[in-house]
Amino acid sequence: MIKLVLTVLFAGCFTLATVMDGQVRELRARTQGSISILATLLGDSRRMFANHFYAKADAYFHSGFYPGIFDTAQAEGKSHMEEEREASERHEADHDEEGEGFLGKPKDWIDRFGRHFYPTTHTHLENANQREILPWLRLSANLDPQLIQTYLNGSFYLRTGLNKPREAEEFLREGLRANPDSYELLLELGYVYDYNKNDPQAARRLWELALQKWKKQDAAGLNPPVKACVEILDGLVRADRQQNDLKQLLSDLEALKMVSPNPESIEKTIQEARDQLAAPRKD
Amino acid sequence: MNNVFAIAGVVIKELYRRKDFYVLFVMTALLSLLLGSVRFFNDDEIVRYLKEICLLLIWISTLVIAITTAARQIPAERESRTIFPLLAKPVGRWELIAGKFTGCWLACGIALVVFYFFFGLLTASREHAWPGTTYYQAMWLHWICLGMVLALALLGSVVFTAQSSNATICFIVVVGILFVGGHLHGVALAMGGVGGDIVSAVYYGIPHLEWYDVRDLVIHNWGRIDWLILGGATLYGMLYSGFLLGLTWLVFRRKALTL
Repeated sequence: MIKLVLTVLFAGCFTLATVMDGQVRELRARTQGSISILATLLGDSRRMFANHFYAKADAYFHSGFYPGIFDTAQAEGKSHMEEEREASERHEADHDEEGEGFLGKPKDWIDRFGRHFYPTTHTHLENANQREILPWLRLSANLDPQLIQTYLNGSFYLRTGLNKPREAEEFLREGLRANPDSYELLLELGYVYDYNKNDPQAARRLWELALQKWKKQDAAGLNPPVKACVEILDGLVRADRQQNDLKQLLSDLEALKMVSPNPESIEKTIQEARDQLAAPRKD
Repeated sequence: MNNVFAIAGVVIKELYRRKDFYVLFVMTALLSLLLGSVRFFNDDEIVRYLKEICLLLIWISTLVIAITTAARQIPAERESRTIFPLLAKPVGRWELIAGKFTGCWLACGIALVVFYFFFGLLTASREHAWPGTTYYQAMWLHWICLGMVLALALLGSVVFTAQSSNATICFIVVVGILFVGGHLHGVALAMGGVGGDIVSAVYYGIPHLEWYDVRDLVIHNWGRIDWLILGGATLYGMLYSGFLLGLTWLVFRRKALTL
């Protein structure tokens, strides 16, 4: 009797498996594109983990010298990776080193003695060592594909310190698939084409698209930062110069003048471009 | 002292007869090797994340080994009633405590050597470097820290009736100190008043296990620690372990051994 029951149970399982297999495959194919295993397992809490891993990348950027939850929070809520990237894009010197930084003076002898056992000096990873932040950025992007800063910083360090423009582009395109309306990602992708691939034409197309996205968000009342618009127009002006397209350069400079915090200097550049355009061609 | 080392020898034999260490070591090695095989952005030289994960697993594994080994020593002797012939040998109660502690500590030391050797090999395969002094210092501090944890678990084993509750409480206390121990004074200063004074007293009173966690220095290649500082941390750890063992003996001395 028991053998019969076992046989029937096994036959039932076998039949159900053949019926269900197709349906499960279909369901998996439908959901696989949009939801990763991590997203399924963690739900919305994955965003919290993504932020944690993003902060971890910043901590690695400082070789472990990083404030914990009990230390003073970052001033503007920006990571130092981000600050360095932005400073580099503005061609400015990096932010000041902070010395004791968030640690302040030791509170007591235990604190003073304990500081010998963890990093207490503010340093930044340089050149090839910057690769050490990548695993955490990769993990952060997997957990929260909407965290745009992850792609921007990943791409910046890949294309600059590590000289890996192909990987930077792949990472940015992955970000663009998750955030198709992001002008920041298009701007950064333009830098990859302009600075690393020496293709100002492609860079220009990307920046034009970025400007369209920025304007679309502005028109929708989302108040995108004007600084981003200045950076995009700056990129366009750079591409115009490289392509020696003076008419387009004038038009882009006019647009830049409208949003730039320094319109006088732009006006001067416009005059120079006009003079150049008016001058008879030597060839 | 012969009695102490005889008891310690039995504890060490127990460690390699039990499966705990092997399971934890294989799990650590497998997870580390698995994560080591992952490539990020076609770069084979990324190593710090691997060092971090491997060291984290080593810390978890050794804490599990230390707490579970120490927490079961005296209760197991009582349950199997082997404590009676042992104390009738004659072995004093302090010798029993000292022997159990020494055995557990040496057993943890052996486990640490195996774990750190694996860690060194794993790191060297990527980094092509062997900063022996840094690894030795990290392992030494880890061992001193485990000494305090063992003494705490032994104290718990004579205070709490159940082995499981002792292990759980020890885990909570140790993890709590590792995470927030160093920040309690800051919290106390922010609180102020009587509550702040109480938190301050707790801060000065607890064993500062967080000093002995030098993972960040190892992961980010910060170089070796000053030997004098290392000596100071060793002295503090030994004094604290001695204090906890003394306390254990005081409680155990008056304890009725009947079940």
